[in-house]
Amino acid sequence: MEAGEEFGPWLARQLRLANKTQAELAEELGLTRAAVSAWITKRSVPRPTVMGEIAKALGTDLGTVHTRTTDTQAGLPVTWYHRPGYQDGGRDGGNAAAFAFDADVQVLARETCQNSLDERLVENGRPVRVRYTIHELTGEKLEAFRAALLWDELQPHYSAVSESAADQKVGRVVDAGVRDMFEKGRLVLLRIDDYNASGLTGDDYDDGKFAAVVRRQLESLKSGRGAGGSYGLGKATLWATSALGMVLINSTLSVPHEGRTERRVIGRLELPWRSVDGIPYAGPAWLGRPDPETHNAEVVRSWWADEETVERLHLTRDNDEPGTSFLIVGAHDVASLEQGGTDSDDEEGNASDGDGIRDIRVMHRRLVEALGRDFWAAMTGGGSRLPLLETSVRTYRNGEIVLEEETVDPTDIQPSRSRALRAFYEGTTVDRLTEAGQVALRAVPLKLPLFGGRSGTLGTHQGVLLVTEAEDKDGVPNQVHSLRGNRMTIKKSTVHGLPLGVTQFQAVLLVGHAAGESAPFAGEAEEFLRAAEPPEHDRWGQTEELTLRWSHSAHNRISRLTTEVNAAVKELVVRPKRPGSEESAKLRKKLTVQRKTAAVKRGSGPTVPELVELDAEIGESKEWRITAEVKLPRADELPAMTPVVLLEVRSGGRPRLDWAELVAVEGCEVEGGVLHFEQGARRAVFRGATDPTSHPVRTELTRLALELRAGSGE
Amino acid sequence: MIEQPHHLPPRLGLLSATAADPFLTEDLLRGIQGHGGVDLAKVVEPLPEEDPRWRAEPLRELIDDVLHQFKENRTEADAWLAPRLHAALRLTRREAADRRIWNHLALGVAPDYVAWRHASAPSSGSADSRVAAARFKGSPDRQCFSRLWWAAELFRNGRDYAPVVVACSNQDLIHTVMRSDLVDHRPTAQALVRVLQSGIATTGREINGLMAAINTAGATLVYDAMAADEWRDPEDLRRWIEEAETAPPVPRHELPTGPEEEPVPEKSVETLTKYFADLFETAPVRGRAPQG
Amino acid sequence: MKFYPYKRLNRPVGLRVTSVSLRLPDRTRDHLDTSAFSTPQRTVALGVAQHEDWLSARIGLSATLPPGATDPDAPWSDLRVLAVLTDGDTNVRTTVELRQDAPESKEWSGAIEVRRDDHVGRADLAVHAVATVDGVRGRAITETDTDWTIDTTAEEPLGGLRLDVKQTSFTKSAREWLRPYADAPWVVDASGRLPVVMVNTDVEGFSDLLGGETGGMENRVHELLLSQMATDVWTAVFHSAVGDLEVEPDGSPVFPSDWRGEVLREMLPDVVPGLRAEDALRQVHRRRTGDAGWAELQTRVHFAAVRRAGARQSLANVLRALQQTNREDRS
Repeated sequence: MEAGEEFGPWLARQLRLANKTQAELAEELGLTRAAVSAWITKRSVPRPTVMGEIAKALGTDLGTVHTRTTDTQAGLPVTWYHRPGYQDGGRDGGNAAAFAFDADVQVLARETCQNSLDERLVENGRPVRVRYTIHELTGEKLEAFRAALLWDELQPHYSAVSESAADQKVGRVVDAGVRDMFEKGRLVLLRIDDYNASGLTGDDYDDGKFAAVVRRQLESLKSGRGAGGSYGLGKATLWATSALGMVLINSTLSVPHEGRTERRVIGRLELPWRSVDGIPYAGPAWLGRPDPETHNAEVVRSWWADEETVERLHLTRDNDEPGTSFLIVGAHDVASLEQGGTDSDDEEGNASDGDGIRDIRVMHRRLVEALGRDFWAAMTGGGSRLPLLETSVRTYRNGEIVLEEETVDPTDIQPSRSRALRAFYEGTTVDRLTEAGQVALRAVPLKLPLFGGRSGTLGTHQGVLLVTEAEDKDGVPNQVHSLRGNRMTIKKSTVHGLPLGVTQFQAVLLVGHAAGESAPFAGEAEEFLRAAEPPEHDRWGQTEELTLRWSHSAHNRISRLTTEVNAAVKELVVRPKRPGSEESAKLRKKLTVQRKTAAVKRGSGPTVPELVELDAEIGESKEWRITAEVKLPRADELPAMTPVVLLEVRSGGRPRLDWAELVAVEGCEVEGGVLHFEQGARRAVFRGATDPTSHPVRTELTRLALELRAGSGE
Repeated sequence: MIEQPHHLPPRLGLLSATAADPFLTEDLLRGIQGHGGVDLAKVVEPLPEEDPRWRAEPLRELIDDVLHQFKENRTEADAWLAPRLHAALRLTRREAADRRIWNHLALGVAPDYVAWRHASAPSSGSADSRVAAARFKGSPDRQCFSRLWWAAELFRNGRDYAPVVVACSNQDLIHTVMRSDLVDHRPTAQALVRVLQSGIATTGREINGLMAAINTAGATLVYDAMAADEWRDPEDLRRWIEEAETAPPVPRHELPTGPEEEPVPEKSVETLTKYFADLFETAPVRGRAPQG
Repeated sequence: MKFYPYKRLNRPVGLRVTSVSLRLPDRTRDHLDTSAFSTPQRTVALGVAQHEDWLSARIGLSATLPPGATDPDAPWSDLRVLAVLTDGDTNVRTTVELRQDAPESKEWSGAIEVRRDDHVGRADLAVHAVATVDGVRGRAITETDTDWTIDTTAEEPLGGLRLDVKQTSFTKSAREWLRPYADAPWVVDASGRLPVVMVNTDVEGFSDLLGGETGGMENRVHELLLSQMATDVWTAVFHSAVGDLEVEPDGSPVFPSDWRGEVLREMLPDVVPGLRAEDALRQVHRRRTGDAGWAELQTRVHFAAVRRAGARQSLANVLRALQQTNREDRS
């Protein structure tokens, strides 16, 4: 049984929800108001006999009053609250953050996993598990889900937005999303669950993780990483991925709120400004339970839902482990269309089912790809070290499995980089690469500047550079991926200026906390690089924060690190040159006969008759019997050709065999061992048999070669 | 016939084909007039002074002896000279691959031998008798001395030069075989000698047929897989080369002893000997030269 | 077109070099960095400055057989995998059997020893999968499609044939045969194992110009000179390559196995366009040894050389640089 909330606060909330005063309850129970007040202020608890009366008064059963793990169903039901339009009539056009960029599940994967990593419960040392579930609904299942969502309440709002579709991008996206659901009769849900994470803790309105995600949207975008807590710009991608601008949330908290942890549920909708029945609405809306403490009890807040409700909203979590589930309603992946080039609008007449399956399969593949690419390091462990992160992707359609749950395996997607990191954790790195598959380690210095623009160096952090041979699956070769404490690839840079012939490699640079516990100035380096990281987390360089806290030239320290890294890489993978061998290098280069790799290039067609097909077998009297096809060029006059049959040898001259028989089959004539082609023919076929007495060795030990030579073949 | 140069170089050197070219006069090739040796010496690049292997005198003495001994039967000189040249001029294969040393030996030390050994048949009239320039500075299988040295290197069985004598006694074998890389496989080379000794193939035509059979089947067969060879330790050869300093002149009557290298495994030689004999005996042509 | 009379695998063996170590005269081993070999160039460079006197090199190999090789119902038995090192300059053939990493595995590995004294320049390394097919032992059922090159002297693992460039004073050189050419800034000697370009250091400043990286006009002139030299070299090596061809019994010329062959395969498509390499070689050989057509071919030989030397581009660069200088002078 779950640990229930204390009676007093619980009762107070139930009264608020039911819109009842303490006096009214006291009257119903036939007690004094002071007695009820004593319960609420925790000075006393009701006698067991009174509990039944209280349950009756709140319209619930005795069990609920005893356990106090959920709210009573009394009071105002769960509903959508749409923020009213501004008094001044301003139309901001909805949440800019959510619609600033095109939906891209790969960006979503990056941002959501990043958040989960930041929210990982570190004390137990276990990884945070993040699971992506793609679920396509059609038919009855879709109907049921829409009902659970209270779609009918939303319909007028979506219609209003659709009408404005011509004017704004947001409107067009939403309009397309709604049409997709009704015309194709399908809806894609993309759910992101994390386990062993902190969950959305804190009050509905005050500072805390919950408010940071659910309430503060625009604010966090404006003030950057500081105010938004861990959930920065990234969370906007959740809404951006929904064609309907809708995300439902179910969180299990690591720290109880209102005495509870499980099934804290809320929904949030991002729509542009709209007018419904003449009433203007600002944009956002929330699905929740009306808060009696707010004006007119209109504003809704999260509620502690029962199991049936989360089931109907597709929000059921696997177990009571802390973490959050985000359900993106109407998930779409515009970026994949750009890549795939299939425009689904053109195929509306076709069976949309097959099309939908393709969409969700592509989404699945792109998620796996992105997770492997961006989080291979966080997913890699080694030695006594567990990975920080585990991820998986699975795909359903109406509850049936389309693609089995696929655990993203960094050794499969990033074989050489994950091998490098594992070797570092296991302590099996080498100083020099002498065998394929080895991982070399080099320390590279990052000189940290002093704060506040003072010149000088605070200290030298030793980053760890790992270099190993590349594999095909790693993608672009000869790259350095740089990571700090969160193990996310921040910076990818290609090492340039490598001489021809360098065996392809992959390198990993670990700096800050990633460089290991014992690395000097790890914390300072981590702080410095975090400051040098833009919100996109995709590079280190000049940022406002870097300039303010350090100096205008602080980013030069990072350039110097890059120089050090490239030099160290080259030292490991490039053959050192003897002094003076550079001399005449240019001339040598011009005089190099390059090894032929490709076949001889062909023009638009053959200019001479060409053998295209050869079939051969050994006949009864050990002769080679051949049938050959010749492709003929389009030409007014075709040259006569001689078929020459030779035997391949180990080395030196090839013995030429005699023809015992040479017969034209099609498109040619044979005259004295020479082929004459018919005018206008495009192909010719001839048959032949060798004279076995001209074979220098038993026929079954020979390898036949047939050639066409010009003229009489001499 | 031309004489040896008046000026004999005391040491072998490196003579590039380009540098040698002006000395390969029509008179020299026709065996009318040799060169004095002084001008040639100017265009030779010296080899390291301290290495006793480059002394020319022992080689010249060997040439003098062979000229004397085979005055009447020059083709038989090959079988005698090949092992002795190999033992007298101790080289690694790397060194022997430098054609310039052979150019110098032929043109600088023993042009008279080249002219004597390779002048075209005298029956066609002395006026037409001519030596191909390739015998002085040509490819390793044509050049007068390098072909003998390489024949000895490829056919010796470790320290044993006896197979070299058999191989070089047959002009057809040495001519055909040296052009092919089949004998780079030591068991193949030894097996060829065995087939020759067994009398299965003796005439030039038969030997050509044998080689054609082995070479043709070699397009699909990997003989290495049938007959393994032993690893040769490079130190064995180095030791033998170092001993050149103290080694006595090569014996004239007995065969010299080669480097103490691992001999070819007997089992491999036997396997291939049988296999080659079978290839030859079941071949339809059997020595009838395929029509060209 | 070729035809085998037995079943084979139609895909090649993949071959990778995994490590290289040198055995030194004091019997120690020096493990070379993996930068000594290049997978894209399929080349191993054994020339290391510190150790000229190594005895042998051990090259670690890993071969991947194509699918089907180890199927239980494959039409062959006694599958073996051999690595074969061959060297046309020294007639060396070294064979080593690779071992299957695990039963049923497609991966086979082992190491081959390369003796320093046995090689002068480059050796070729191939892998053959051999089996008994239809009762015939020792059949090659597949092999590598491109050999690896083991270069015993190169310091950089670069594929392709590199010609030698030597700088020397023609009047004072130990190579006395150069003296008659004292007036020439360079000569090409294509008679040796590798073609050599001899650069005459007697021409003052020439050597500096060739070695220099000064930029600007000087650089352009440098480029032009290089392409002029390269044109000479390509012309010379082509003639040298066709000059001494071996001939098959039926009179067809054979591609030489050394640098001459590489040069011919590179240049023939420009000299005799539209023909297969073998036919082109036959035609060139016929023209050279026959009565007519040799002189007519020279224009094409020159064209092929000029193209390879990048003459057009370097000329254009000089012209552009000249125009620029003129403009600057005027203004």
